[in-house]
Amino acid sequence: MRRHTRRIFNICYRFTGNRTDAEDLSQDVFLRVYRTLGSYRSAHGGFATWATSVTRNLLIDHYRRTKRDRITDSLDDKMPVVENKESAGRRPDEQALLGELSMQVQSALIRLSPELREAVILRDLQQLEYAEIQTVLAVPEGTVKSRINRGRIELARILQQMGVRPA
Amino acid sequence: MNWTCDLIEARLSDYLEGLLQGPERAAFEAHANSCADCAPLVASVRGLVGEMHSMEKLETPPRLVYAILDKTLGPRETVTGWQGFLNAIRGLATPKFAYGGASVMATLIIILSASGFSLRKPKLADLRPAAIYQSADRGVHLVRARCVKYVSDLRVVYEIQSRLRQDENNLQTTPEEMLPKSSPEKNPGQTDDHKPSQPRQQNRANEISRQIELLAAEFPLLSERSGR
Repeated sequence: MRRHTRRIFNICYRFTGNRTDAEDLSQDVFLRVYRTLGSYRSAHGGFATWATSVTRNLLIDHYRRTKRDRITDSLDDKMPVVENKESAGRRPDEQALLGELSMQVQSALIRLSPELREAVILRDLQQLEYAEIQTVLAVPEGTVKSRINRGRIELARILQQMGVRPA
Repeated sequence: MNWTCDLIEARLSDYLEGLLQGPERAAFEAHANSCADCAPLVASVRGLVGEMHSMEKLETPPRLVYAILDKTLGPRETVTGWQGFLNAIRGLATPKFAYGGASVMATLIIILSASGFSLRKPKLADLRPAAIYQSADRGVHLVRARCVKYVSDLRVVYEIQSRLRQDENNLQTTPEEMLPKSSPEKNPGQTDDHKPSQPRQQNRANEISRQIELLAAEFPLLSERSGR
């Protein structure tokens, strides 16, 4: 259970960028899994894949609920200033939780659209296979590859505008 | 096919994940290396993907697992007192622990027995270091004496067996060989080492006959002395 908890917490944190929201959402994921365990079928893939699907669905629901409370995720010219505000607004324990580059990647990630963000998180941060991501997102494999590709390019451009150069 | 910047951008992930082969890969690299826009893009995305793959996963907050359990299974009561103690012991009721406990008990019993501690009539005085040392010393000497006696007994048995075997071999030889032969050059007490074929019994017989002759030679002197 600890292994699943860690994986789900990582997905939630990378998607929301907020530790409190990630903890709450992780609990909701396990509650949903616990209540709907009877509906799990092996056709849905392995248990981990099914749990990831539940996580993704809850994250999208959470995103839509909190959309009006967020700063728009469109790219604007004030990106470097926004970056400083984000760093100043991050809690000290969160800064301790992440490394420097990880913090910058996290800041750039939450600027992606949800579709691109979830694709990049599942592929590059969770190292899931294309087939598994296809099951989780319930889209064709071509769409998965396209989202991952666009997400990576978009993320690289955001980091470039933030003045961050990955090694 | 001439690769454009749009095509480079569309196939960038395929290139980075090694899905482009042969001519496609060569054409991609030819354009990417020569284009002022595509070269930095490929490099930055390649670096970003490598960084994300090497980023460590975050640690779970310590109380998250318990919060999940509370939310799914409901809050659990904290058990204290004898109930909590019995619950803790119940966790030890596994075959692995039982086997380990039994082997430890057996070892302790063997050690206590070897140290002279009587399990039927236990006395605290038996656990004194001096008493344990004396008991161990006595035990060691006893064992050594038994071993020495055993080896000695074995040696005696072996000698007896070898003698008997020799006697059996001698009895199986021809009768002419068994007759005692007088041998003038044979002196009493002389061994047969220089004649290995002569049986030892013949030597004994020669010696006895020699002694009888000497005794007989003494009789006339005795009779003469008694007659005076």
